[in-house]
Amino acid sequence: MSDAISNKALPGTAPPNAGADKTVVKAINLSGGIFGACPAHVDVKDGKVVRIRPLHYDSKYDFESFNPWEMERNGVKLRPLTKSVPPPWGLAYKKRTYSPNRVPYPMKRVDWDPNGERNTQNRGSSKFERISWDEATDIIASEIKRIHKEYGPLAILVQGDGHSESKLIHAPHGCSTLLLNKMGGFTQQVRNPDSWEGWYWGAKHVWGKGFIGNMAPAENLVNDMTENTDMIVLQGGDPETTPWGFRGQFASRLMFFWQKAGIEQVYICPDLNYSAAVHANKWIPILPNTDAAMQLAIIYTWVVEGTYDKEYVATHAVGMDKIEDYVLGKVDGVPKTPKWASEKCGVPSYTIKAMARHWAKVRTSTGHYFGGGFIRGPYATEPARLECIQLGMQGLGKPGQHHAQIAYMGMPKNITWDQLNYDIANSDPSTGFQEYSGTFETIKQKDPELYERIFNPHRGTPQAWGKQFIPKTLIEEAIKAGTDKHINFWGTGGHEEEPIDQMIKYQYPVKKGDLRFSGSEKKNLAHNDTDIDKIYERIDYDGVPIHMVWTDTPCRQTCWGDGFDIGMTIRSPQIEFVLAQHPWLENDCIYADIVLPANTTLEVDDVMPCVRDGEHFQTMLNMRQAVKPIGESKSDFECVVEIAKKLDMEKEVTIGRTVEQYVEGVYKGMNFDKITPWEEFQEKDYMVIPVSKNWKKLPAGLYEFYKDPVGHPLPTPTGKLEFCSTNLSKYFPNDEERPPYPQWIEKGITHDERLSSSRARTYPLLIITNHPRWRVHAQADDIPWTKEAMTGKIRGFDGYLYEPCWINPKDAEARGIKTGDIVKVFNERGIVLCGALVMERIMPGAVSVDHGARTDIIIPGKLDRGGAINLITPKGLTSRHAGGQATTSFLVDVQRASMEELDKWRREYPEAWNREYDRASGLKANAWVERGK
Amino acid sequence: MGKKVFLVDTTICNGCYSCHIGCKDEHVANDWTPIAKPMPEIDHFWFKLDEKVRGTVPKVKVAYTPRFCMHCDNPTCAQACPTEGAIYKRDDGLVIIDPIKCTGCRKCMEACPYDVIYFNRDLNIAQKCTGCAHLLDAGWKETRCSDNCPTLSIRIVDEDSEEAKNFIAESEFYKPEIADKMKPRVYYKGLPKKFIAGTVFDPAQDEVVIGGCVTLTAADGNVSKIKTDHFGDFWFENLPDGKFKLEIEADGKTKLFDNLDTAVADINLGDIPLT
Repeated sequence: MSDAISNKALPGTAPPNAGADKTVVKAINLSGGIFGACPAHVDVKDGKVVRIRPLHYDSKYDFESFNPWEMERNGVKLRPLTKSVPPPWGLAYKKRTYSPNRVPYPMKRVDWDPNGERNTQNRGSSKFERISWDEATDIIASEIKRIHKEYGPLAILVQGDGHSESKLIHAPHGCSTLLLNKMGGFTQQVRNPDSWEGWYWGAKHVWGKGFIGNMAPAENLVNDMTENTDMIVLQGGDPETTPWGFRGQFASRLMFFWQKAGIEQVYICPDLNYSAAVHANKWIPILPNTDAAMQLAIIYTWVVEGTYDKEYVATHAVGMDKIEDYVLGKVDGVPKTPKWASEKCGVPSYTIKAMARHWAKVRTSTGHYFGGGFIRGPYATEPARLECIQLGMQGLGKPGQHHAQIAYMGMPKNITWDQLNYDIANSDPSTGFQEYSGTFETIKQKDPELYERIFNPHRGTPQAWGKQFIPKTLIEEAIKAGTDKHINFWGTGGHEEEPIDQMIKYQYPVKKGDLRFSGSEKKNLAHNDTDIDKIYERIDYDGVPIHMVWTDTPCRQTCWGDGFDIGMTIRSPQIEFVLAQHPWLENDCIYADIVLPANTTLEVDDVMPCVRDGEHFQTMLNMRQAVKPIGESKSDFECVVEIAKKLDMEKEVTIGRTVEQYVEGVYKGMNFDKITPWEEFQEKDYMVIPVSKNWKKLPAGLYEFYKDPVGHPLPTPTGKLEFCSTNLSKYFPNDEERPPYPQWIEKGITHDERLSSSRARTYPLLIITNHPRWRVHAQADDIPWTKEAMTGKIRGFDGYLYEPCWINPKDAEARGIKTGDIVKVFNERGIVLCGALVMERIMPGAVSVDHGARTDIIIPGKLDRGGAINLITPKGLTSRHAGGQATTSFLVDVQRASMEELDKWRREYPEAWNREYDRASGLKANAWVERGK
Repeated sequence: MGKKVFLVDTTICNGCYSCHIGCKDEHVANDWTPIAKPMPEIDHFWFKLDEKVRGTVPKVKVAYTPRFCMHCDNPTCAQACPTEGAIYKRDDGLVIIDPIKCTGCRKCMEACPYDVIYFNRDLNIAQKCTGCAHLLDAGWKETRCSDNCPTLSIRIVDEDSEEAKNFIAESEFYKPEIADKMKPRVYYKGLPKKFIAGTVFDPAQDEVVIGGCVTLTAADGNVSKIKTDHFGDFWFENLPDGKFKLEIEADGKTKLFDNLDTAVADINLGDIPLT
């Protein structure tokens, strides 16, 4: 056992490409953006993929030359493996490339006529016909020109952000901005923090900007926790699920190592999540989104028993008096006792007390990796801020006491940190990118034109950089505002914004004089500066309402909130043209007027720096084409180039360079030729960045703040942990949904999703919608082999593969539900059909459906068969002034779909119910093609 | 060629199914004749991950048990096969169903006590795990399942290696009662047994009982004792099927549970008030 953990027994193994005639390297993680992960070897024969397998780092280099790190606790050791550890769907990725759901050729909606009737009301209902690339790009170019002439460039909304395959040159998202930015700009959909709403909209007001709201700096957490932490509390975190899409399965090894090394793991969540299932010392089931009650009771226990670090709090925090008054009931007359909390959260009061006392006694860190019901529901700001306070009360930053995104950050640093002379001194530590953004910075210095070409498409996710923008959570509200009204919101939601940005009231359409963050001054920005006018500048142009949507991110319905409404709103005649480019005809694609066939990473030449934390080593990959493009597909970048050609803008988009020149430019631009010569990299197609010999020298997490809070202040207005926020007190003193200090919010003007609601009489269950185990959000729902896992899909009696709905045997029995039954999960927002999975991995009163299943709409706005649970999530934001989404922990009921009902739907909607379907992989693109199959 | 053994440590299996996926990736739509013809897209599990939810809320664990051909040294499948040489054992210990010679009579499926042989209707042959013999023959040191495994929960190694010897010394067999007969080449650690668990609390004080003495007595008189932990929890793990008596004692108060039968299922005694 410890051999496997420590890797002592493993000789270097480098499998040859048996039965193949070509092997290429690919990053097969699905987080997208400028950073890849999960390097793999792809074996190809006769132009077809034979297999995808982990990259053995030592297949072309000496393993010891990587200077592998080692960690130890209680005699148990952890070392890197000699191979990468990709997630299951990455290893099955050829099924995505060869999916029957691929868009085979350019298509036009049959009743959308750009020169006549557009029939926007039929989006999502009418089917498609095949057209040629030439015809498609003619129409698109002429529509862009027409829109620009009639309304101006900002009338085009770009939805080009979020997760995807990891490709740099052929960026799956945002390539359209390379073209539109040079034609006068565009309206940007700003991707909001969609997995860590609470940290972004809440925690930032306690410990400052952090890394997109999470604790920062977060260096060397993994080793420090290994050596010093006694207990890890995971409030909704699931290291066996959410890390997979980002960096593969190293986190799994780490959790096993910590387990074997005797570090206690306590999971507080409604479900026995995948990590709890195999790592938990203790599972404390808690009703969805009631964590704040238990947290308040823990704080109450510490206050009345005097078991928190008063000295630390006096020197490192402000606002403890307010917290004390609140938990003792001096504010609202309700002491937040364990008994009070127990009634809200379903955890016995004696267990809450036991938890509080143990936490106060042993060195405790909290563990997350985005995701989890804890941080994504209504009023997620409150549990997030309460966790910051819990950590603060016990001495955040002391050895072993951290807020850790399990291995997302805090792994041993490689030599780019201390040997390649990046400008670390001037990088912004609160971004958490540090030396890695430095590596891109060097491209900027050497070759600004290349930097813009490579980086701009990827900016859509972290930054609000469009001339006019709409937060992703408010697209439907923006469309509903029509052409004569506007919408307001606080904060752009851009990942890298300062906390102060959330105090600014923005509007769409923009108008002259509106504030915009002045990016150029970023490095000199004082984090404690609350003078908005010093940090922001005013724009000198007016915006316009949107009339066209260009999406390469067609997953809104299944990834964002109130999805049924999304599908109805996009039918507005104001939106004259919807253009989608995507490899698969899934989710929002069916609402498009033209669909362009994009392709997958296996079909292109590309390059990928896998340089973020969370794997055994960081690597750089020369990702050569594995197979020829499927059908008439082109890469997302090539799709844009085809359109640019028709607009006489090709050179502006390609900057006149070939893919080979991009690859070389990126490699040398990032100084990697100083580690491995360019020629050697070309021959071997990958290189491993050695671990720094000095990695242990970096202080862990907030250690320096702990040692010296004056010399190393936090980036908050007071420089301290703000248990009560200076900014929120100043700008939103009367906000009852996100008060200046965190509180229990039973209900508010934005949400009414608790068991105390009158709605609970009709919808008595609380549902959690975790990030999926067998997908990355909407990605990879067509892989047949993951569906065969017990929790993959449930095959109904009709042969259809339903998304599983976890339900406790008690709730199932009361409803006559058995495993395998087709069930309706529903509330007033609609019905989603699922397959029942009756088991003890979910507590009574709660049910669980992973989000991100492909929609299969039977009745528009009302009924879905695909199991896309986000179709019925709450409409509202995290809270009135916090622009996140609230897509988990809401009221539903679950009932067996009766034979009569199923029969009625089958009879009344025969075409939708009988769509062409693949028994192994599910939905097929062909189902939506009417002419020219 | 050294003889191969499979070492399966379920205590570090995270249930990711990458083993199952590696097997599918290698065999679906790939033809490795003479070792194996293609596997059907779905419903064949040459590498099957059994998944069992044990216990009841909140004392629940999930057991993942990889199951595939045991490559027995006494392969009853081969003995049951009426076609000469259609099922054979290689020098490296792997048992192969020859996809050319197999006539699809399915006698091997009936004879296999581990239920790991599948019938391919389209090709009219029986199919199962080949130990990736075609890859080993090409110089691989791994099978696809072991190469895909992120935790090294599955290993294929030479029988006389140190790793194998150390592992086997502490290992057990799946279906141990037939191991002597079948002589399987797959060794396990951590196969799921049974547990008895609970939480002890004092209702008058509204506190968990820490350090309470819990005594478990098996039908054969074997006694084990543990103290409740800081959550008031006790877990007796790795219990055999059978009848047990459990006694809780703290602060002079006692509680007795008689006639606990682990043969039925794992037992969560719930939150136990000590009065």
